Amino acid sequence: MVPWLASHSGSTKTEIAARFGITLEQLERDLGLIMMVGVPPYSPGDYINIDYEGDFVDVWFAPYFTRPLRLTAAEGLALLAAGRALLAVPGSDENGPLATALDKLEAALGVSEVVVDFAAPEHLRDVQRAAADGERIEIDYWSAGRDALTTRRIDPGPPFFALGEWYTDAHDHHSGESRMFRVDRIRAVRATAERFEPAPAGAPGAVYNPRPDDRRVTLDLPASASWIAESFPAESVEERPDGGQRVTLAVSENAWLERLLLRAGPEARVVAPDESVEIGPAAARRLLARYRSA
Amino acid sequence: MDDTPDRRERLLNLLAALLETKRGLTRDEIVTNVSLGYPPVPESARKAFERDKASLRAMEVPVREDVQGNESRYRVDPKEYYLPDLDLSDGELEALHVAVTAIGLGTGSGEGAGALMKLGGLEGTGGMPVAELPLVDSLAPLFDASRHRAVVEFQYRGRGRRVEPWGLTSKFGRWYVVGRDLGAGEMRVFRADRIGDDLVATEPGAFTVPVDFRADAYLADQPWEYGSGRAVPVRIRIDAGHEADLASQVGPDAPIERADDGSVIVQLSVVNYHGLRSFVLGYLDHAEVLSPPEARTAVTDWLQAIAGAES
Repeated sequence: MVPWLASHSGSTKTEIAARFGITLEQLERDLGLIMMVGVPPYSPGDYINIDYEGDFVDVWFAPYFTRPLRLTAAEGLALLAAGRALLAVPGSDENGPLATALDKLEAALGVSEVVVDFAAPEHLRDVQRAAADGERIEIDYWSAGRDALTTRRIDPGPPFFALGEWYTDAHDHHSGESRMFRVDRIRAVRATAERFEPAPAGAPGAVYNPRPDDRRVTLDLPASASWIAESFPAESVEERPDGGQRVTLAVSENAWLERLLLRAGPEARVVAPDESVEIGPAAARRLLARYRSA
Repeated sequence: MDDTPDRRERLLNLLAALLETKRGLTRDEIVTNVSLGYPPVPESARKAFERDKASLRAMEVPVREDVQGNESRYRVDPKEYYLPDLDLSDGELEALHVAVTAIGLGTGSGEGAGALMKLGGLEGTGGMPVAELPLVDSLAPLFDASRHRAVVEFQYRGRGRRVEPWGLTSKFGRWYVVGRDLGAGEMRVFRADRIGDDLVATEPGAFTVPVDFRADAYLADQPWEYGSGRAVPVRIRIDAGHEADLASQVGPDAPIERADDGSVIVQLSVVNYHGLRSFVLGYLDHAEVLSPPEARTAVTDWLQAIAGAES
């Protein structure tokens, strides 16, 4: 706060408090504290002088308090990571003020560029544009859980990235409900010439919404399948003495569970419920049949 | 920490005094200086100073200690404490504010806002959420070690590693540290979320990073490209109707051809069969490895083991 105050003498208390996200009370306490700081053998007044005129604050600081403080590692990283990430979002201005700010920051911190790379699915830009302009679109969408392709009209929300994928929170005219779509599973986008009112800016909904009636499946997984608990929000994860894990997940569709089990391999098995125990082996036999008939 | 106003005032006074001194101050010089506000009893004053010193360091204030003979002198070098003047415009501050509000960093988001406070406050109104990219705990110490060019030591997949952390990168939602593994004698990529709190940074200034280094250059784009073996061309058939978005999944260089029945055949350069298997199995029974026979066997042996004895 001090460096900013020093270069914005004459600001009002209200402005200062708003800028630094504190209450007027906190501000007055902090200003009082600043007044008490000095360097021996001088009195504080030699270094800092604050005059109030009504709501206006006039501040004079000795030069050494007016320079910005070194950032902690966590602060420097957070600022760079957020900045580089936003710049990596398709459609960002690569030569705008964010880019120049990050160059300055990297030079000051003495770090090599923190490189952020998001997946860029084929139709991301189409969905971004439709969301921004309020254009209703028709999409061919592949539902991984059911392993089925459907066509539907949606009013997309602005795409956002979470858990390694791009999503759009959209009003789905097919079901009449709000649905979360993965942008990389949109196989085609067609214009409809219909429009909708773009949603006001706000936080996107949760990417992962297990329904209360989703089946809970408990799996014993080898250490090599630790990516499962890292990639999906598990309801519980227990470490086992052999280095593996016992994981409980909400499962709504069989195809999703099949894919998970085939990737996890022969050492992974379903512990409960009983009717899911054979899902992995049955899927493996179905695939093997294809290889044998070829 | 005892955080009463008196204590905070004393900490600020101490910090100012340590910044001011050129030759450093001894502990006695500090605690006997009445204007700093230490208690009069020498033993209590010494303890209070040790606590203050630890608190400053916990706040990442670089308190240096020079041992000369049997006494230590303390100071804070302004060059280490202040940020060099970044000369950020209001537009740049506003853009950074949008970034820290639009990108969710988990616990790191508060740190980003804190950084902006130091740089001049929150300009503008911020942005709406665009991405979630949570920072994991090992990243801040890795970042610090990287900027100070300090070798780090940590356990990774059950083995102790010594690594020059050249840089950090995030790909597809995960964070990685890229650097020279001193044990292996070559560049390696480590997942930051698999590095625990046993991480230790050693002396700064231990290595240099080439100016043209880019951390993302060491991350393979596709799971089947990981490893150091020879790449083998592998042909895969994907059924009609399931091939959409294939080009963005396999990259622009993979040749794709369409067969008469509408299915698609794609050729991949495969270094490891694990990554290949994972990719093909994602299509369930809508895809099949055609050739070479070893790649086919890598998939069928795996499936056989899952299917169990009865097939």
